[in-house]
Amino acid sequence: MNTPALEKFLAQIYVDAQARTRFLANPREEAARAGLSADQCRALESIDRIGLEMAARSFAKKRSAK
Amino acid sequence: MNDRFGLGWRTELAAGILSNLDHIDVVEVIADDYFDSASRLRALKMLAAQVPVVLHGISLGLPSTAGIDRRRLDKMARLVEAVLPECWSEHLAFVRAGDIEIGHLAAPPRATSTIDATAVNIEAARAVVGSPPLVENIATLIDPPASDHDEPTWLSGTVAASGAGLLLDLHNLWANSVNFGLDAREFLARLPAASVHAVHLSGGRWISGADGVSRRILDDHLHDPPDPIFDLLSALSSRCPNPLTVIIERDGSYPPMGHLLAQLDRARRAVSAGREVMRLQ
Repeated sequence: MNTPALEKFLAQIYVDAQARTRFLANPREEAARAGLSADQCRALESIDRIGLEMAARSFAKKRSAK
Repeated sequence: MNDRFGLGWRTELAAGILSNLDHIDVVEVIADDYFDSASRLRALKMLAAQVPVVLHGISLGLPSTAGIDRRRLDKMARLVEAVLPECWSEHLAFVRAGDIEIGHLAAPPRATSTIDATAVNIEAARAVVGSPPLVENIATLIDPPASDHDEPTWLSGTVAASGAGLLLDLHNLWANSVNFGLDAREFLARLPAASVHAVHLSGGRWISGADGVSRRILDDHLHDPPDPIFDLLSALSSRCPNPLTVIIERDGSYPPMGHLLAQLDRARRAVSAGREVMRLQ
């Protein structure tokens, strides 16, 4: 199921707070807008929201420390 | 069995490591820190003349379905050629996509597609560097989306498909188990012990989610390895037929060197206890 397009979408929501907010408001629509497959859109609809926020915070801290 | 025990090389620990080489069998160096500096490379070669060195990469992005960055791979190859480490390793982490750098190690979707991509990328790494990396399991705060394998299945599948050896980070294994409801000992038991050649030990802390209720363990390398990590090390040592290189990673909040050496001694005792169990089986 994984593709470069999915990886790019995940990277985007991990690093870009606005993209993440848009995604969390409408997961399926945002994933579809990025050209992801129906299976990928479905998988992203049930994303681990708590973990996404924690991971994004952790990644941001790492980036700011570099 | 010739198990070895050492520390991750950090500038803040350098003096302590160099003055305690009779207690430290091996040091692990972050390879990426030496890719672009001739003076650093000279210093690393001097270090490698004093103590066995292993190299640890942090930026190849082995599980990416988009392939790995050839320039980084070439740099790793040049470093390996210059330093002649006993081995090199890299994380099973997704670190970038196109021009987006995540800035740290993200868990890839655990799927057949990433197992296949990792195997292809490891073969590319072997072809360029001359030897395959040991591959390290990573800690994650997010249950990786778009996954259809659990972590033990994905890791075992990746090792089987690639033929790579495992650098098993026991704190990562334990933290993921706690965070996502797996039994850490069962997780360990499901991994191919004969593929494990090296081990990382570290520590972390609890962090809270935005809801103020959810808590997960962050693998921050700023704390001592907790007790369950040493229990897992004994359990691994009772099953693994290979000599193990055990590295304690510490990235800050550095304690006195005597404290780190005491942790190394605790790791030695844990491995010794496991080896005794293996001998009696």
